[in-house]
Amino acid sequence: MFGLIGHSTSFQDARRKAMDLGYDHIAEGDLDVWCTAPPQLVEHVEIVSAVGKTIQGAYIDSCFVPEMLSRFKTARRKVLNAMELAQKKGINITALGGFTSIIFENFNLLKHQHIRNTTLQWERFTTGNTHTAWVICRQLEINAPSVGIDLKKARVAVIGATGDIGSAVCRWLVDRTNVAELLLVARQKQPLLDLQKDLGGGVINTLEEALPKADVVVWVASMPKTLEIDSTNLQSPCLMIDGGYPKNLDAKFSGKGVHILKGGIVEFFTDIGWSMMELAEMDRPQREMFACFAEAMLLEFENCHTNFSWGRNNITLEKMDYIGNASVKHGFSTLNLKTQFQAAVA
Amino acid sequence: MPILESPEVAELETCSTSELPDFTTESYKDAYSRINAIVIEGEQEAHDNYIAIGTLIPDQLEELQKLARMELKHMKGFTACGRNLGVKADMPFAKEFFGGLHGNFQKALSEGKLTTCFLIQAILIEAFAISAYHVYIRVADPFARKITEGVVQDEYLHLNYGQEWLKANLDTCKDELMKANKENLPLIRSMLDQVAKDAESLQMDKEELMEEFMIAYQDSLTEIGLDNREIARMALAAVI
Repeated sequence: MFGLIGHSTSFQDARRKAMDLGYDHIAEGDLDVWCTAPPQLVEHVEIVSAVGKTIQGAYIDSCFVPEMLSRFKTARRKVLNAMELAQKKGINITALGGFTSIIFENFNLLKHQHIRNTTLQWERFTTGNTHTAWVICRQLEINAPSVGIDLKKARVAVIGATGDIGSAVCRWLVDRTNVAELLLVARQKQPLLDLQKDLGGGVINTLEEALPKADVVVWVASMPKTLEIDSTNLQSPCLMIDGGYPKNLDAKFSGKGVHILKGGIVEFFTDIGWSMMELAEMDRPQREMFACFAEAMLLEFENCHTNFSWGRNNITLEKMDYIGNASVKHGFSTLNLKTQFQAAVA
Repeated sequence: MPILESPEVAELETCSTSELPDFTTESYKDAYSRINAIVIEGEQEAHDNYIAIGTLIPDQLEELQKLARMELKHMKGFTACGRNLGVKADMPFAKEFFGGLHGNFQKALSEGKLTTCFLIQAILIEAFAISAYHVYIRVADPFARKITEGVVQDEYLHLNYGQEWLKANLDTCKDELMKANKENLPLIRSMLDQVAKDAESLQMDKEELMEEFMIAYQDSLTEIGLDNREIARMALAAVI
C-alpha cells in the first residue's frame, strides 16, 4: 500500500473540509483545537495503472495547517504523528506532501525516530523530490518551445538552485539540455559556489539580476513576500514554472508574454475516485496531483519500497530517469500550459 | 511540494529542543507534589476499578486481578519517583482531582453498567495515563524516566482487557458507550485544564498532553471497531 501525507492549504479550508468529512469536533474548533488534533487517515483508494497494475493507497491528513508554521513544536509533532500513523497502518511507502517534507528537513526530524512505542522506519517514506524534479524538467522542455522559446538560445534561471529539487533541476539542465545559459539563484553564497563547481558551469546571480534576463524561470523556493516585480521588465515570452509551495506566482506576475505554469504537477491518464486533491486546489482534482505524491504511487507500482528521495542533494540523473520512465509507463503526464483554445473554454 | 528554502521555515531553523527542567527547585517540587500524586492516585484508581469490575464478571476475575496487580506495581514505582526527589505527594488533591470520574464509575458499578465502567477505566483513564507518561518521559529526571518507560512498556505489552471486551460486545454496547463518553470525556478535558499550570512547571506542554490524549483515545476507539465518523462524534464532547 502507498500513502500520502498532506494538509490543507489554509486553516479556513481545513475547517471546511473537516466539516464535509464529518469531523465536526475538529471543524468547529479553533486553531488551538487543531493543534491537538491527531492525524486522520481520511481516505482509501484503489488505483489501476496504464499497464493494468492495481495498487491500494491511503491519504493521511496530518491536521497541520500553514498557520502552524510559527509553532515549531506543533509543526514537528504533526509531521511525526502522521508518519507514525502511516507506519502503524502498515503502509509500505508514504510521500511527505506540502509543508510536511519541508518541516521534516528543516527541523531535522531525523533526530526523532522514536514516537511513543514506534520506531520510524525511514525506508517507508519519501519526499517525492526526485519525481518533482523530473516533472519540472520535462515541463520546461515541453512548454518552453510551445511559447516560442528556443532552449538552445535561452537563459534559464533556477531560483532556489541549491535546494534538493533545485540542484537536481540544474544537473538535468546542464547534462540533458542545451540551454544557452544557466543562472543560479539562492540565498546563501557558499552552497551556490559549491553547486557551480559541481555543475562545472552556471552563472551565479541575484534574483534582481536574473529575472529581467531570463527566458525561463524555475521557482523552487518560496518567493520573498516583499518582492516587487515589474512584469514589464521581464523577457517576452517568459515561461515561469511555479515549483514552490504554496503556488502563488500568478498573483505576482502577469502581463503579455508571461506564461505561468504550476510546476511539479502531474496528471493521471484516468479519473481517480478520491476527493483529497480538492484540498490542494487542483484544477482537475480527480486526475491532477503533486508529483511528490505520485512518486509514492510509482514506487508502489514498481514494488520499490525504499526511501527513494531522502536527505538533501541525493537526487541523481539515474534516479530521475528511473522515476520518469515509471511515471510515463504507469500513465502520468506532466501538467502543461493550456492552449489558447483550452484557456478560452476554461 | 517540498521547497527547502522557504523564508518562514528558515527563520525557525535555529529552534532547538528545550533542555530538561531543574528538578531541585522549590517551584518544580511544589508542582511535582500534585502531578506525582495524580499519577499515584490514577494507578490506585485503576487497581481498584479492575478489582471492582471483577465483581460484575466473576469468570474474568483472574485476568482482571492480574491487571490490577500490575497497576499497583506502577503505583509503587511512581511513589518511589516522588521519594527520589524528596517530594511528598499531595494525595488529598489527587483524590479530589479524580473525584468526578471516581463518582461516575462507582455509580455505573452500582447499576451494573459494565460498558460505562470500561469506558471510564479502560479507555479514558488508560488513555489519560499513557498520554501523560509519553509527554513526561521526555522531561523527567533520569530515575523517573526509567520507571515511566517501564510502565509504558507494560501498558503496551498487556492486553487491554476492557478494550477487548468492548470490541467483542460492540453491537450491544454502542449506545451506552456513546452516552457514557458524553458524560465523562468533558471531565478529562477539565482535568487537563486543572493540571496545566503544574504540568507546565514540569515542562509538560498542555497542547501536547491534549494531543497525546486524543491520539491514545482515538487509537482505543479504532481498536474496538468504531469508524472515523463515530470517533469524531464522540471526540466532539471534548471540545464543547
